Amino acid sequence: MFKLLKEVLRTGEATVKYPFAPVEVAKDFRGKPEHVPENCIACAACTVACPANALGMQTDLSAGTRIWSIDYGRCVFCGRCEEVCPTDAIRLSTDFELAVADKADLRRTAVFRLASCVCCGKPFAPEKEVAYVAELLEATAPTKADAERRRQLVATCPACKRANDVVQIDTADVARTMETVR
Amino acid sequence: MHAPLTKPDTTRIGSATIAELRRKLPHAVLDESWQTPTQATITVKLDDLPNVVSTLYHEHDGWLSVMAGNDERSINGNFALYYALSMEGAEKSFIVVRAEVPAATEEFPSVTPLVPAAVWHEREVRDMFGLRPVGLPDERRLVLPDDWPEHLHPLRKDAMDYRLRPEPTGDDETYRFVNDAESETTVVPLGPLHITSDEPGHFRLFVDGEDIIDADYRMFYVHRGMEKVAETRMGYNEVTFLADRVCGICGYAHSVAYTTSIENALGVQVPERAQAIRAILLETERMHSHLLNLGLACHFVGFDTGFMQFFRVREKAMTLAELLTGSRKTYALNLIGGVRRDILGEQKAETLRIVSELREEVTRLVEMLLATPNLEGRVKGVGLLDPQIAREYSPVGPCVRGSGHKRDTRVDHPFAGYGRTTFPVHTGEGCDVLSRTLVRVGEFFDSLSIIEQILADAPGGPVLTEDFTYRPHKFALGFTEAPRGEDVHWSMTGDNQKLFRWRCRASTYANWPVLRWMLRGNTVSDAPLIVASIDPCYSCTDRVTVVDVKKAVSKTVPYKEMERYCRERTNSPLK
Repeated sequence: MFKLLKEVLRTGEATVKYPFAPVEVAKDFRGKPEHVPENCIACAACTVACPANALGMQTDLSAGTRIWSIDYGRCVFCGRCEEVCPTDAIRLSTDFELAVADKADLRRTAVFRLASCVCCGKPFAPEKEVAYVAELLEATAPTKADAERRRQLVATCPACKRANDVVQIDTADVARTMETVR
Repeated sequence: MHAPLTKPDTTRIGSATIAELRRKLPHAVLDESWQTPTQATITVKLDDLPNVVSTLYHEHDGWLSVMAGNDERSINGNFALYYALSMEGAEKSFIVVRAEVPAATEEFPSVTPLVPAAVWHEREVRDMFGLRPVGLPDERRLVLPDDWPEHLHPLRKDAMDYRLRPEPTGDDETYRFVNDAESETTVVPLGPLHITSDEPGHFRLFVDGEDIIDADYRMFYVHRGMEKVAETRMGYNEVTFLADRVCGICGYAHSVAYTTSIENALGVQVPERAQAIRAILLETERMHSHLLNLGLACHFVGFDTGFMQFFRVREKAMTLAELLTGSRKTYALNLIGGVRRDILGEQKAETLRIVSELREEVTRLVEMLLATPNLEGRVKGVGLLDPQIAREYSPVGPCVRGSGHKRDTRVDHPFAGYGRTTFPVHTGEGCDVLSRTLVRVGEFFDSLSIIEQILADAPGGPVLTEDFTYRPHKFALGFTEAPRGEDVHWSMTGDNQKLFRWRCRASTYANWPVLRWMLRGNTVSDAPLIVASIDPCYSCTDRVTVVDVKKAVSKTVPYKEMERYCRERTNSPLK
């Protein structure tokens, strides 16, 4: 009994003032993921990595848009999205106060425009993703002509690339080239 | 005469046991494969299955860890059963006994009559795969609800989509609760729901006056279908985060068990530093879990000041988890091949500071608890788990150690970073609630010392390897010692970047079957205390039905009332 009283006195007040005063969390606390649409290229890497299906992408070909979304109600704050993002567009903050009065407020979206294929004019990939890849490839191109060719290639949709390949193989006359080499 | 078919292999631990088994039961073993140097799978003839499991169990110090059913019709045309035994005799290893069940008969000879520990597993495989254990004494459903369609077995590959929820067809409970009492008893139902628990259960106590004559219970009211979801919707790495959520208290142990199972199956060499970090986090988890249970022990004996003190100090363990992982619970730090965060110098210093604070504070609290006069009176000699019953049913953790059995996965089968530490295995001879509580106290202080040992000599280097590829249909066991005992996962990889089968056996699953014997012979007011002493993933249930066998009346008592009675022991609700 004496030990107990001593312990109680030693402890003093154990409670904190939260929520009337802020409570401090660890520096690397994994809280609410914050999305920066300016950095995002809508590549969908995060939606593939998300174990809880909190992140999603929906492509609307008729409107020419791709909608990125996060559902904070499903999020498990694992931070896999942050790890796989190539452009630092999503980061976990230390914010843990996520309560909302309306469930719909737990969903956040960002709308991205789709780029149209330079050949057929149909939308096929997010504009920003195409630009990002084109820039990367151009930067490593040996010549100016090569850079232009790469830019064209990236801006072409997969269906057109396949069609172009057929034409190219036909005109290149593979058989004759092989004969010359021999 | 039959000479041993294989020479004992010194690099493979367990090979002598298998050679011995082949000698005793010639022709029984059809095939032998090794997943790791301490893990073998032997395929046996279906008719010899009970004999093989029983021989390993009774003659070679085997304990049944898990049994997994598997629908292998798409691989070899049959169903398969995997009885995983933890061999704790001369050779400490895992031996998995595999038997194929023909799809045409869907029957297998039950192992339960020879090894009672298999009872829950065989009832489950009957529910989930529709394989009939011939000779199983207990033919009740285990997992599926009473009104579940008769021939729908969820884990068969062709059974159902994971999103399907058959409509409930009735509210009637048709489950028969078993009562072995010879004289008349009164029924006390406890349960089925408790708001704060993650796994509700329903208890029926059969009482004579105040004495519990027998007890029965059923769980799985909120079966989450995690195995099915993992097999059909998630990738290998995503399942680690699902495994984190198997338990709200010891989830990281499941996450490590799952990743280890895949790493064992594929032969992934996990970096030493990653293994060390896993061990540190597992011990962090054990600390907060044991402090929680010690707090609850205070609460149930009516010592609420102690409860508050333990929970106050537990907060430090939670802070430590937050510091090291970024989250107080569900650490989410594992990937197949390692961990996602290193422990940096600053964190190491802070960890050591918290560890020394915890040691000092908990020492004082434990002294205070043991000096409380009514503690011993309430917990000593209460909820006895007979060592013989324990041997038959393979319980795990402080529950089995409290009955004198020296089994701890960290020591028997060192995994993660435990190979680089030394610590004792605490056992108790009292077999009662007090023994189990004291085992937890001892283990708490071990955790502190393990963290210090590992931090002092953890090797440097990478914390994650991605140097492996997934190959289809590889399988192995993964295991950890969670705060409540051994967690065992059996995983098989698939050919579509998803698991073919994931069997996850939580520690409490192994402890429930012995609870019946622990409750017998005690008074109703001790029931919540005894249930809490196995530290189940929930420590209480909502209501209790008391059936007085002599008066043949049944009475439902609210759980709050039972708990009050347990603490105060006055004004019996049964009168």
